[in-house]
Amino acid sequence: MSFVPGQPVTAVVQRIEIQKLRQGENLILGFSIGGGIDQDPGQNPFSEDKSDKGIYVTRITPGGPAEVAGLRIGDKIMQVNGWDMTMVTHDQARKKLTKKREDVVRLLITRKSLEEAVKHSKGSHPRQ
Amino acid sequence: MNNSKNLRDSDIQKKIDHEIRMRDGACKLLAACSQRDQALEAAKSLQTCSTRIMAYMSELQRMKEAQVMQNVPRRSSDAGPMDDRLPCKGKVAISDLRIPLMWKDTEYFKNKGELHRCAVFCLLQLGGEIFDTDMVIVDRTLTDICFDNTIVFSEASPGFELRVELYSCCSEDDYSAGSTPRKLASKLSSSLGRSAGKKLRAAMEPGACSPVSNGGAAPLLLPVPSVPGPKYHLLAHTTLSLSHVQDSFRTHDLTISGNEECSYWLPLYGSMCCRLAAQPHCMTRQMMAGWLKVKQCGGDPKTWTKVYAVLKATSLSCYQRQEDVDANVEPALTIGINKETRIRASEKDPHGKGQNISISNRYGGEEVTHTLNTESREDTHSWMEAFWQHFYDMSQWKQCCDDLMKIELPSPRKPAPVTPKQGSLYHEMVIESSDDLSSTVSDILARRMQELELRSQLGTSPTWMSVFEENSPKSTGFPVRPCTSRLSGHSPHSPHRLPSRSPVSPHRCPQPGLLSSDASLTSDSDSHCSTSPCSHRHDWPEPSSSFSLLSSSPSRLRPRTLSLDAKLSTLRGRGYGGGGAFQCSCQPPSSSLLAPHPASSRSPLSQRSTQTTLSCSSSTSSSSSSNSEGSHSPESSEGGPFSRPSPARRSLRNLRARLDPRNWLQSHV
Repeated sequence: MSFVPGQPVTAVVQRIEIQKLRQGENLILGFSIGGGIDQDPGQNPFSEDKSDKGIYVTRITPGGPAEVAGLRIGDKIMQVNGWDMTMVTHDQARKKLTKKREDVVRLLITRKSLEEAVKHSKGSHPRQ
Repeated sequence: MNNSKNLRDSDIQKKIDHEIRMRDGACKLLAACSQRDQALEAAKSLQTCSTRIMAYMSELQRMKEAQVMQNVPRRSSDAGPMDDRLPCKGKVAISDLRIPLMWKDTEYFKNKGELHRCAVFCLLQLGGEIFDTDMVIVDRTLTDICFDNTIVFSEASPGFELRVELYSCCSEDDYSAGSTPRKLASKLSSSLGRSAGKKLRAAMEPGACSPVSNGGAAPLLLPVPSVPGPKYHLLAHTTLSLSHVQDSFRTHDLTISGNEECSYWLPLYGSMCCRLAAQPHCMTRQMMAGWLKVKQCGGDPKTWTKVYAVLKATSLSCYQRQEDVDANVEPALTIGINKETRIRASEKDPHGKGQNISISNRYGGEEVTHTLNTESREDTHSWMEAFWQHFYDMSQWKQCCDDLMKIELPSPRKPAPVTPKQGSLYHEMVIESSDDLSSTVSDILARRMQELELRSQLGTSPTWMSVFEENSPKSTGFPVRPCTSRLSGHSPHSPHRLPSRSPVSPHRCPQPGLLSSDASLTSDSDSHCSTSPCSHRHDWPEPSSSFSLLSSSPSRLRPRTLSLDAKLSTLRGRGYGGGGAFQCSCQPPSSSLLAPHPASSRSPLSQRSTQTTLSCSSSTSSSSSSNSEGSHSPESSEGGPFSRPSPARRSLRNLRARLDPRNWLQSHV
């Protein structure tokens, strides 16, 4: 899941749609993110490649909207409502997730298990 | 037949009249208003009304032509029912429109010179419906033009064409140049700088740079009233159709009209990103419902089950009772109806009345057939009709029938309160009308805090909360100070991150006035830096406990004798890394905080006064993270044993330690 400069980033992604939960005046999603191009990628416990400066899910509130929608800890967020998340600062990522006028966020996430699932399915169908 | 035509005619005529009235109103408003944004909004309505009028006119024209055509006798067509079949209509929604801009780096990084601004909006046209988005002011600090609106067209056929047009209008102050006489204008343009002169000239010749958009209208045109004031020009357009519909975001190409010389020019990247979703009615409505008898193939011919069947979306759901449909009870049996399904009406069943309909599906490798029996021939016929129609709809709407795409209408909510990025806390104070203004502000805040406490079940408390654990009495003579810290941009989730801080603060500030009752966090939170009494006495909380709620004790006052210097440097030394909260602590307070502190004339103030706007920008976070990593603060004398975990401690076993906010910034959303 790292990137080679100049090469397009490809990943097997899953679409997750989270309905924000209204708590009083605020809309919450129920998870925490870490990472960003302005953060130290070496501290990321979830990334395979320690130079990956992407946005990762670090915590999921049990029973919260994110967990219900299928988001899991350790997922890497590639896109939020069409906005790219692979090359953003931490704060830009947070802002894209917490827009007040949006009730729903549609994420594209990737995780190791997805890649493996595709690899296995590819293996059993050699015509691929 | 004629009656319906006349009805539709008069319908359209009414719409046209309505739009003409709106347009006249907009013209009058435009002529009367003095403010720039009002003028821009009025001009936008004018443009929208004009476009709508053109569209209605052309539809009227088309209808009249169709009428004429109908009077000509048509040859009878003996084609089967399929030819006359019309696909069902559906809802088409477009949302999250985003148009990236491509400023030249020289433009983008320019710090001086006036900001060339354009007002832009989009007109979306599908069938006879035309909607406009809100207007957005664009200047060189913006990288994308974003329209937050969701536009839903309710009756679209599968062959729809959604035309998206981007209009822009230059929003310079010298707009009234439009009325300057030409000779004077050319003299002016030659004497002004080249680019300014070009703009002026372009502004005065609106026709030169672009065709006025008319939405591809028919021959008959009403003259568009020319009014002084801002005028929108078509900057780019594109047409979307069924092939562009998808349940996710896609990028489409734009056709750009105009060039650099035009006043309304914006350097568009050339594409548009949006989400186009469609909900055909066959997916959302019941296409057919009635009582049937069902049996599964391979079963005993006598075991017919009477069910209430509903044909909707991709399945035929069979319920035991009719009431179950509305009661959201799970259907007793669901038969899939999709492109692969085969439906046949068989010969008259010798055992009973009515005909049999068999539905076959392939699940995996095997074929499963269900047989339906209806009461009468007419029922059979109507069910078969319904199935044929359903298949036809699915073939026309293609990918929209695989799964139901969600279309959300944004819930009506009150417009977001305008929070000034910079300003004194007087402005940030929010008092709801429900609050009894006769009570002191501290009471209002106390009530708010209770609300917040109730709401705060999730999330971590920012670790700098530990700073406020200690509450020692302080003199009430302390000038009013901002007691609620703010982290800009964190407002959506702040309440549950400020569980205990909030109760503490207002009670420390009994003076009413400058207390901010809004619990959102902004970066001029140095109020806490300044008012925290003995932060240096606190131990740095363990990572696990840092996530726990800190207890609050009311009515503690802070001593004013502690120097601001020590507090500031203490907090900086802690090297915050967790949540957005940390960003605030590392920043010296904004000048807005200076307002309530006229008495505290200490050296840090001068330092603070240089800080103007604090916003959660990436520079802030980088400085905070660098703080956390470097932890380079001179005050090792502070009691808080802030020690950065050594590399040896970081082991995969303890994920929590690895997620220590001191090391790696995390934000809760």
